[in-house]
Amino acid sequence: MPQAQIVKRMGAAGAPPALGGLGRWCDRHFKWLLVAPAVALILALSIYPLAFSLVVSFINYDFQVPGHGFVGLKNFERVVLDPVARRALVLTAFLSGASVAIEFVLGLLVALAMVRNFAGRGLVMSILIVPLFISPVIVGQAWTLLLQRPFGPTNYILSEILGRDVTISWLTERPYVYISLIVADVWQWTPFMFVILLAGLTSIPPNLYEAAELDGVGPWQTFTAITLPHLAPMMLLALTFRLLDAIRMFDTIFIMTAGGPGTQTYTASYYLYTIGFTQFHLSQATAGSWILLFFTAIVVVLLVRRLLRVETE
Amino acid sequence: MNDRQRRDFQAGLAREVDALLRGEPTRRDFITRFGQMTGMLALSGPMLASMTDWALAQQALALADPATPLGQAQALALAASTEGPTDGSAYRAAEAAKQFSGVTLNMTYEAGLQALDPRNFSGPMWEQITGIRSNVVELSNPDQYSKAVAEHIAGSGAYDVLDISPAWTPSLADGGVIAPLDDYIAEFMNPADLDDYHPLYKALPTYKGKIWGFFDDGDMFALYYRKDVFEDPALMEAYQAQFGAALAPPKTWEEYAQIAQFITDQRAPEIYGAGHFRKAGSPGNQFDFLQQFRANGGQLFDADMKAGLASPEGVRTLENMLAANAASMPGNNELDAVSLWAAFLTGKVAMIYSWPPSGRMAANYSQSATAINFIPMSQIAGKVGYAVVPGNPEHATGFNKALSADSRNPEAAYLFMQWITSPPVSLARVMLPYALRDPYRLSHFSSDLYAGLFDGAKDYLINLNNSANVGLLDPIMPGAQDYFLSLDRMATAVWAGADPMASLETAAAEWDSTTDRLGVESQKAFYEEFLKLPGSTADNTVEKLGMAVNLGG
Repeated sequence: MPQAQIVKRMGAAGAPPALGGLGRWCDRHFKWLLVAPAVALILALSIYPLAFSLVVSFINYDFQVPGHGFVGLKNFERVVLDPVARRALVLTAFLSGASVAIEFVLGLLVALAMVRNFAGRGLVMSILIVPLFISPVIVGQAWTLLLQRPFGPTNYILSEILGRDVTISWLTERPYVYISLIVADVWQWTPFMFVILLAGLTSIPPNLYEAAELDGVGPWQTFTAITLPHLAPMMLLALTFRLLDAIRMFDTIFIMTAGGPGTQTYTASYYLYTIGFTQFHLSQATAGSWILLFFTAIVVVLLVRRLLRVETE
Repeated sequence: MNDRQRRDFQAGLAREVDALLRGEPTRRDFITRFGQMTGMLALSGPMLASMTDWALAQQALALADPATPLGQAQALALAASTEGPTDGSAYRAAEAAKQFSGVTLNMTYEAGLQALDPRNFSGPMWEQITGIRSNVVELSNPDQYSKAVAEHIAGSGAYDVLDISPAWTPSLADGGVIAPLDDYIAEFMNPADLDDYHPLYKALPTYKGKIWGFFDDGDMFALYYRKDVFEDPALMEAYQAQFGAALAPPKTWEEYAQIAQFITDQRAPEIYGAGHFRKAGSPGNQFDFLQQFRANGGQLFDADMKAGLASPEGVRTLENMLAANAASMPGNNELDAVSLWAAFLTGKVAMIYSWPPSGRMAANYSQSATAINFIPMSQIAGKVGYAVVPGNPEHATGFNKALSADSRNPEAAYLFMQWITSPPVSLARVMLPYALRDPYRLSHFSSDLYAGLFDGAKDYLINLNNSANVGLLDPIMPGAQDYFLSLDRMATAVWAGADPMASLETAAAEWDSTTDRLGVESQKAFYEEFLKLPGSTADNTVEKLGMAVNLGG
């Protein structure tokens, strides 16, 4: 814009209005005002509840027991001494470990299969990642419909394939109930592994593979010497994200087994939900949440440390 | 302003003006727009709330065809509220409530089908008669307890009328969440209407000598069986030959399992002997165990408040239940109440015991409402017989209408409760095809209008009445949820192969832990109060107390 035109428009704009006391204060603290809403939100929605939950875990906060007296470590003691809680913790480790391991292997295989271009690749990829966009509650409901006796078609299909009558109670019988939960989780979250690992695979420089081919290196050696080392950071990232999510496994259990039979499919999250929102022992549930947080933090620290080490290497 | 300040000001001004002329946002723009957005957010809240209110607003009162029994019952309810008899509870409540015209009553209801009645029928009718609006707050069943408590702690006065499980009455009364009704009853109610409750239900809202609500849902379990199967000559002959007895609805739980197994052996896979809702988290396990355990002579607690589950009666109960499971349709242990209804209605099962809607669904009456279209049409209409569950049937949950102690309009709220549970209005409500409220007044059981709803409705009502005569109540005491959860865990563990006695011991330990947490002496006092109620034990039923209601049949 020409200088003369700018001067002309400045004249037309007139002098800026004088700032009052509040205006001057706002002007001085403008940067703080900008971040204040975000800080207030974090304080209100994260920091305050966190601090309050710490308080609640040391007092009586139970809809059925009047008063909010200080009870020391009683709430923690109740959780630690509860065999259901201990078992739930072990089951959480087993289910999350098994699910994530299977998802990782399947995700890697699919990513390796999809890394090269072929006709219809886009369509196949779109279909493969559909489960990611489905709510876990819906996934649980869908698998329940498939597996639940007598209406679900699974046993019928298996009977047809195997040529004998299959009468498995997939949702109420061990070990099938664990298989069902793992299958539902793997179905939903393998695409997550696949997407991240595929991104990692496509970022490996192709000239490394060309050089290996020229040198006559076999496919397995190429995979172990080139693919794996280059993919390792992404693998660790995918495993970290997925494991942290799997530890919270709740939705599919809520829908598919309701924790049963007995308490056989109580994960830590489901246990805390039951204590807090079925039995209304809120302080015990809060204490349990802190214990779970402690164990989760150990996993997080180990994984993140390893992740950072890989990145620096 | 000195020279330097002037230079700084002009430089700053020049930067701002340049930015303005380039169309870049300035701090002033930002603050202005931020203010506008905040204002819009502040406005959008009430706007959204009013739109939500509009979307969820009550329907206009639409009555059923006056030629139908339901239409006649609704017309009678309206007439009883507006014309009298003038000493009727409905009329007196409606007249007294007119002074509160314009008030809105906030009332909790279980989300879903339960809320359709106040939205479509009773709420609009009450507003038409009194000018009092009703705001239905739909909550999940556990939230009907927890939200009521939370709002009471907050002192919000958010609710006026609470729909509560009778089991919650002691803790809500002692916690000050609900208010006693005795003074209001003395002032407004026709005492004869209290006597119209079946004796099992009349005492249910009574706690520590005061009345804490009006009973409003006769959730009595009953046995529904296929008459065509039980009257099949070939089956009758085979049963007689095998067991030396006539094939008839069972009187004991051993007989029940035996008959179920017999029918399964004879007719499966076309028809199985029985089906049950045994899925974990489905309340069938707790209700079934409670009714059979007590019918077998089991005591829930001993004199020291130690759980009495781990006993020969407990083992016998679980073994009976296992035998019934084995005789049932495939997938029995994975069924919930709706799946079981589907199996029964499609003709796959010869016997079920469940809540009263089973009879209305079997006759295809419920399915006349679109709200119930998730239930399949009955293929067994006209083929269903009704019988009392062997031993003592469970009154499985039910609902009380209770007055929130924090209500800002307690009198209006009370009057609504009196009106909605009054004989003519409650009759019209329990006759709604989509209703999950089941008959509970003597005038319901003997109603000719109800008896005209579907073929066999008269027998259905008589059976519900007879079931209430020998029915058992869920334990009404604090911690009931915890006790129930332990039973469900125990049962599903046993279905999955756990040892019955070991499971009973685990459940008993959980019960003792719950009792310890809530205070042994305090729980003992609650339990003693519960034992005073008719139907608290198999030795203390309405019939055993000599108060049975005989409707014939």
